[in-house]
Amino acid sequence: MKKYLMKGNEAIAEAAIQAGCRFYFGYPITPSTEIIEYMARKMQQVGGTFLQAESEIAAIYMVFGASGSGKRVMTASSSTGISLKQEGLSFLAANELPAVIVNIMRTGPGLGGLGATQADYFQATKGGGHGDYRLIVLAPNSVQEMTDLIMDGFDLADIYRNPVMILADGILGQMMEPVIFKEPEKIEIDKSWATTGANGRKRNIITSYNLHNEAGEEKALYLEQKYKGIKEQEQRWEEYHMEDAEYVFVAYGTSARIVKGAVDQLRKEGNKVGLIRPITLWPFPEKAFIPLLNRIKGYMVVEMSAGQMVEDVKLNVNGAAPVAFYSRQGGITPQPEEIIEKFNNSYHKGGEQ
Amino acid sequence: MATLKDFRGDQPTWCPGCGHFSVMSSLQKAAVDLGIEPHEMGVISGIGCSGKISEYTRAYGFHTLHGRALPVAQGAALGNKDVKIIASGGDGDGYGIGIGHFIHAVRRNIDITYLVMDNHIYGLTKGQTSPTSSQGFISKTSPKGSSEQPIQPLETALVNGISFLAQGFSGNIKQLNELVKAAIQHKGFALVNVFSPCVTFNKVNTYDFYKENLIDIGAIEGYDVNNRGKVIEKIRETNGLLTGILYQEEKATFEELTPEFPEASIAKQNLHLDVNVLKAIEKQFQ
Repeated sequence: MKKYLMKGNEAIAEAAIQAGCRFYFGYPITPSTEIIEYMARKMQQVGGTFLQAESEIAAIYMVFGASGSGKRVMTASSSTGISLKQEGLSFLAANELPAVIVNIMRTGPGLGGLGATQADYFQATKGGGHGDYRLIVLAPNSVQEMTDLIMDGFDLADIYRNPVMILADGILGQMMEPVIFKEPEKIEIDKSWATTGANGRKRNIITSYNLHNEAGEEKALYLEQKYKGIKEQEQRWEEYHMEDAEYVFVAYGTSARIVKGAVDQLRKEGNKVGLIRPITLWPFPEKAFIPLLNRIKGYMVVEMSAGQMVEDVKLNVNGAAPVAFYSRQGGITPQPEEIIEKFNNSYHKGGEQ
Repeated sequence: MATLKDFRGDQPTWCPGCGHFSVMSSLQKAAVDLGIEPHEMGVISGIGCSGKISEYTRAYGFHTLHGRALPVAQGAALGNKDVKIIASGGDGDGYGIGIGHFIHAVRRNIDITYLVMDNHIYGLTKGQTSPTSSQGFISKTSPKGSSEQPIQPLETALVNGISFLAQGFSGNIKQLNELVKAAIQHKGFALVNVFSPCVTFNKVNTYDFYKENLIDIGAIEGYDVNNRGKVIEKIRETNGLLTGILYQEEKATFEELTPEFPEASIAKQNLHLDVNVLKAIEKQFQ
């Protein structure tokens, strides 16, 4: 297979097109703008529709409309733009419309800046919009994995009729790495729910409006069951040096790449450390922690936020061992030596976790 | 008396030749000419290259989010009517996601000035089609030419009842300064739309383009600045390529029409929130 050297954002756009995405609605925002520019160039060549909307809000509802047709659709933005889309994400989830939404995170809150960050974990995994709903959230840590997860993301969106978010940051979006586009899997998906013109069949209705509480509860329970199924089936994570690990790092995306360096160094110094890298942030890879609970002496979460995923790690460790935390924020990435120092302080020198 | 130097804020990072420099100096000079001190002016900007104006001007300022300059500016103006509020932004934010706020601000007629640096392109994200880009405009998001018709901000403002409308050009800073001054002095919502060329990304709507195509209303015989219908007609006839005060009328403001609108600035009112008042309230519930 041919190998390309590509920017993360461009690889995302190309992977989407190869996965059969034929609608793209977006709005420029740094550091994700290359996605909309790539789509502007390529979408027409493959017979799809590209549109630059007047706002992120318009774009997410164009996604809503196009998704109703049953065809594959995507939008992308960066943090502040993703905030604008939250109402639409709640509606997509409630109406069970498949779509892929890319968030190339920049710093917040408020206007923030352009640096790399992981501060949108809560927004992505806990629901930034209203109501009980879930997005499937995939967190790549390389350009190659971004393309793979975009393709998988379209499949997951179709299989579960649920919006899927790709959560990455400005470093992953802007950096160039070699990438191979895998042949998209040909999966059979039933799209008989799509609103394609009811001539000759029962009409399809896409709605989330419910004024009767009993029917409302029925819908809520149905969605709850669906999310439970996703949780059971789709947890993904990578393990790095976990076979004999006594201490475990937990990090995703860009931080996980840096933590790998710290793990290598700590191992050279004789520490039995490993890494669990969640790939699905929702569903959180709870299964990864179950076999560890009796043997791990301590955990350490590294994030580029004030501490968001660490809450999920603590929930799953459930007091079985201490959970230390290290972070850099506001666009600064943590350095391996800082991580090592914090680890040694926490677990060898009796310092604060 | 404040001088121009007093209004200079952070070092601008706009490209050399950017039209926004003229807009900012026109604003700062207007303030000096009108005897406004830095602490008597608030510059509320949106997002885009234009949004930087609130950081480069030394006055009260707030760099808001994309398209949100007008709601913040209206809130600030209602909160403290003793501070002259200047909302500012670009075509991308003000006439894109901000267009809804714009129409409502026009019809509400709160006493603020709105400066739009209209360069027909997104500059800060490095060159994409904007809401005022012409049909057929080629950019990174319309490589084969834009399919969409541009927004008509002047007509939109007029049909929604604007009380002061002006249009300037960054290449004519003397006139621009006069327009901004008149807008600040106008009682009610005043829009100054400024053709402010982006020298880096827009190779169509350039200084030369405007120098060749703009018509000053002073040169139009019988132009009636108070006749809304005729002004709209003229704008359509000239494809909006006019400069000057295009429309002006005396009109009651939101503040004047709101029953019992406080005379003193709300920000300066004593709200009497002392401990004794709170204790008296507490007593009512005992």
